[in-house]
Amino acid sequence: MLIQTMTSLGIPELIAQLIYALLVAFLCVNFIAVYAGVISVVERRVAAKMQSRVGPNRVGPQGSLQWLADGIKLILKEDLIPDGADHFLFKLAPFLMAMGVAGTFAVIPWGPANSAASDMNVGILYLISITSLVVIASLMAGWASNNKWSLIGGMRSAAMIVSYEIPVALGLLPAILIAGSLNMGDLVSAQGWAPWDWIAFNNPFALLGFLLFVTGSVAESNRTPFDLTEAESELVAGYATEYSGFRFAVYTLAEFANTWVVGAVCAAVFLGAGQLPPLLEGSIPLSVAVFVGKTMFMVFVLMWFRWTLPRFRIDQMMEFSWKYMLPLSLVAFLGQAVYFLWTWESEVARIMVSHLMVLVFLGLFFYFLSRTMVNFKHQAVAVNSYKTEIDYLERMGILKPVEAVVVAEEEEGKE
Amino acid sequence: MNMTPKRSSFGTYLNNLVNGVTSMFEGMSITLASMFFRAQTIQYPDVNIHSNEELVKDYKGNLRGMPANYRGMLHVDMEICTACMICMKACPIDCIAITNVKCDKRTFVGVGGKKAVQTRAATRFDIDLGKCMFCGLCSLPCPTGAIHHTTQFEFVPDNLEALVYKFVTPQEAQKAEARAKEIEVEEKAAKAAKAKAEAEAKPAEPQPENN
Repeated sequence: MLIQTMTSLGIPELIAQLIYALLVAFLCVNFIAVYAGVISVVERRVAAKMQSRVGPNRVGPQGSLQWLADGIKLILKEDLIPDGADHFLFKLAPFLMAMGVAGTFAVIPWGPANSAASDMNVGILYLISITSLVVIASLMAGWASNNKWSLIGGMRSAAMIVSYEIPVALGLLPAILIAGSLNMGDLVSAQGWAPWDWIAFNNPFALLGFLLFVTGSVAESNRTPFDLTEAESELVAGYATEYSGFRFAVYTLAEFANTWVVGAVCAAVFLGAGQLPPLLEGSIPLSVAVFVGKTMFMVFVLMWFRWTLPRFRIDQMMEFSWKYMLPLSLVAFLGQAVYFLWTWESEVARIMVSHLMVLVFLGLFFYFLSRTMVNFKHQAVAVNSYKTEIDYLERMGILKPVEAVVVAEEEEGKE
Repeated sequence: MNMTPKRSSFGTYLNNLVNGVTSMFEGMSITLASMFFRAQTIQYPDVNIHSNEELVKDYKGNLRGMPANYRGMLHVDMEICTACMICMKACPIDCIAITNVKCDKRTFVGVGGKKAVQTRAATRFDIDLGKCMFCGLCSLPCPTGAIHHTTQFEFVPDNLEALVYKFVTPQEAQKAEARAKEIEVEEKAAKAAKAKAEAEAKPAEPQPENN
């Protein structure tokens, strides 16, 4: 539409398209910067909550401006380049990594079908391939830093991303089979608003594909439990060891922006994107809100993974990819194909299976909630009730035994 | 999740998968549960952690200020101190200095219901907190519980002398010394009187001693 207005004003179409592309890129990059900053604070607050801490709460109300402070600090820092580093590659690597992440925003939809910046007919394929650009960036950073930690980190990152690329791509295949297209818009419009119309709950194999895609994406975005490229205890900070200042900030930015990519692709391909019930059809803001809600839920799940699961060892990581995820993703792919043949004729069977899937998932969800309640009660033990170093004083009568302070946690805990 | 089974078979492979999924399920529920749990952090400089009433105004966690058995700065309650010097002998780094003189006899019900008798009063009770290592060995043998650790841990003096805590003021020391001289005189007089009485009563049968 914008291009048409510009061409009607007398601007050549090629230039109009270029202006349009630059405008979209500008918006996307700024979105990435702001989102990455905000989500870094959110992540720290969530982590603090999961560890019964407070987290950053000094800058701005409840620490909400912490990301600005961090950003300003990093920009003001000196940009050091180590002696013996390959200057050109060293300087280029962080921006290449950010580029790989920013490039995916071309095909990520924002709510309704066909809301992506570029309606590519091989959108998913483009997404899978552009995220591989990160491999080159991390290898470049590791090699150019002239540092053994950086090099090992870069090699690990490359090995990990290359091996997890396969389960991720194969995990997306059931969804592609169901929609019959590689186009992001077609994938979105193949789904409905209700959970049983989502691709994730279409059949067991699609759900398996979804789970494999999430797991593989966690690995691809270098987050815990697969963050052994920057394992502090082994490699100071992996390929980012020698970086400081703005270039380091760009790495962090790319890493956090990746969470949006993973969440948005999950939401768009598997969780019904911004599809609305027939009554509300056509409301773009609502659609965007639904989409962003789903994406943020997936981002929260990623954070949840990060603060729950311990880090893999390098050999475990490789084994997990090649021995567990690859066969499972093949099972998902072949299973989906066989399931398709089986239910080719009967619409009823397909509807029954998808509704059954949602029911089973609901059951699992409530079981999970009950387990959460049990664990909450286990954790709601008063801290002071544990006696430490008190016995001899008690014996001497100096101190009365410290009384256990048990507060009714169940009522007040959920604030 | 045990990724490297000793005996690799399809059964252990599936077992590993099930183990991984179930343990992750449980772990996720544990972290979700702790999300609804209150933050236990006390925002230290912002709140007064020495008074529970002040603390509970801003703080919603489970901790209740400093633990009662925290070994902070030493304090001596001179009202019940018997100047027995046990703490001075117990101190492994000799940071307690006590001198004492005679005083009127007082009896306490000490720690654990034991009787503690005071016969001497301190004219000097200094604790060098610069040396003190807060081991608590002095407060262990104290018969009356006079020397004890407080929960106070914030202490920044601007000179080295301020690190030495003096629990007996010079006036009190003078008073105690004056009283000690009086007592000495009284005791000498009492002794002389007693000796005289004994010398007089010697021919007679000895009386049972009665203090």
